[in-house]
Amino acid sequence: MRFFIFSKKNRILLGELTKTDFKLRYQGSVLGYMWAVIKPLLMFAILYVVFAKILRFGNEIPHYPVYLLTGTVLWNFFVECTQQGIHSIEQRGDLIRKISFPKYIVVVSATSTAVINVAINICVVVVFALINGVMPSLSWLMIVPLLLELYLFALGISLLLGAINVKYRDISSIWEVLTQALFYAVPVIYPLSMVMNSSVVAAKIIMINPVAQVIQDARYNLITTETATGWGISGVWWGLLTLAIVLILLIISIIFFQKRAEHFAEEV
Amino acid sequence: MKKWSDDEYIEDLKEDVLERGEDDKVAIAVENLYKSFKLPTEKAFGLKQAIFNRLKGIKGYRRQEVLKGISFEVKKGEFLGIVGRNGSGKSTLLKILSEIYIPDKGTVRVNGTLVPFIELGVGFNPELTGRENVYLNGALLGFSNKEMDEMYDEIVRFAELDQFMDQKLKNYSSGMQVRLAFSIAIRAKGDILVLDEVLAVGDAAFQEKCNDYFKSLHGNQTVILVTHSMDNVEKFCDRAILIEDGKIACEGKPGKVTKAYQKLWS
Repeated sequence: MRFFIFSKKNRILLGELTKTDFKLRYQGSVLGYMWAVIKPLLMFAILYVVFAKILRFGNEIPHYPVYLLTGTVLWNFFVECTQQGIHSIEQRGDLIRKISFPKYIVVVSATSTAVINVAINICVVVVFALINGVMPSLSWLMIVPLLLELYLFALGISLLLGAINVKYRDISSIWEVLTQALFYAVPVIYPLSMVMNSSVVAAKIIMINPVAQVIQDARYNLITTETATGWGISGVWWGLLTLAIVLILLIISIIFFQKRAEHFAEEV
Repeated sequence: MKKWSDDEYIEDLKEDVLERGEDDKVAIAVENLYKSFKLPTEKAFGLKQAIFNRLKGIKGYRRQEVLKGISFEVKKGEFLGIVGRNGSGKSTLLKILSEIYIPDKGTVRVNGTLVPFIELGVGFNPELTGRENVYLNGALLGFSNKEMDEMYDEIVRFAELDQFMDQKLKNYSSGMQVRLAFSIAIRAKGDILVLDEVLAVGDAAFQEKCNDYFKSLHGNQTVILVTHSMDNVEKFCDRAILIEDGKIACEGKPGKVTKAYQKLWS
């Protein structure tokens, strides 16, 4: 199948499209690439003031500011990745109508800007963590497979919804609202322990979501082992469920996308 | 000398043709091609209408047959012209040859690499420089950076845009943009070149240069050209095809086909 051929030609095309996307991203802005760092920091500042200072969340969690920053950075990555990915096919319609190339390249290149951004942001998190007095440890390396898992989840969603969005443009609007709702179903601003205090079942349900699992695991490995994780409250096998969700979704999405891709040129 | 030093390039092409030898003379073989599109009828939009249609058993679309059994062959080194009225199916045919559309029925066999130009300057972005656009366009056409490095100087020279390559494309005049796009098209080294109505670009001097270039390609490069200009068909093509209503209405020498084309309106 053409989808799976990651030939040299496709790699070059992917590289060129990604480069273009990234170059054009901050085109005409004074601060340019700096925005990749400033934006999440500003978001973090708002959340920090509202939730840590005014509402007094997370008093019992050590290094709460870094804890909060890690959550927002990963959450923003997920949102940016999926929103770019879902729009990508429709946005690159002009190319798809005029040139033949494997369509997944469009989705991957659209999401890779988010990957570059999150890589920069994780560096910011690390600096913050060090300033905040978190001891560096080998477990920090776990962030790499966790990011990969989150990316594959976002990619699966992007391929699936992006393919549907070609014909039914409602999808991207629905997804925007859905991510807003999902934000409150993921322990980004509130600590998971808060949910556990009132209902352990609710906490378990929250942690089935791969995004929640990745965020909690990242905090566990990066900042403090005192935070609750999915496998911590539900057991290792239960924890593997999220990984299974990610992989199964990805496989279904690839098959579906591949089937629809033949008709993109006619429908987009 | 007025003959720009492109002779080397032509020699190069000739050698390529010789190297390939006599083993396989067919560049493209198209057999019994069918293609139809689902066109939504005007009432098919919106959820209410969709449910209504479903209940009443109305299909929200009708099938438009665009190609109805097209077969032809293009020999290596041949310059084939495709003519026909608007909406006769020419562009659909080119898009199938370029693997953009998938045919309902029938086969296309392509021998060698095919470089399609359904439109010039696909992916051109006004915010990128001329140089960046050339490489982006090249990547879209399937060329590696190394191949583009080799072609780059020729492209810039042919477009006569040396001093402008590091300027953003939005600062180009529209004529300059088209010249750059067109130069990529004709400098792209592929076995088969597919061009959709792209000849009328640039000022008179550039036009003449292009004409010379096309004439020099004669017999060395396989080209499929869709055009409405009967002049160009007679000037460049070895053979031509007239498509009418999704079928081949006439095929053969350019003179014969252009006459048949003009008869469509009489």
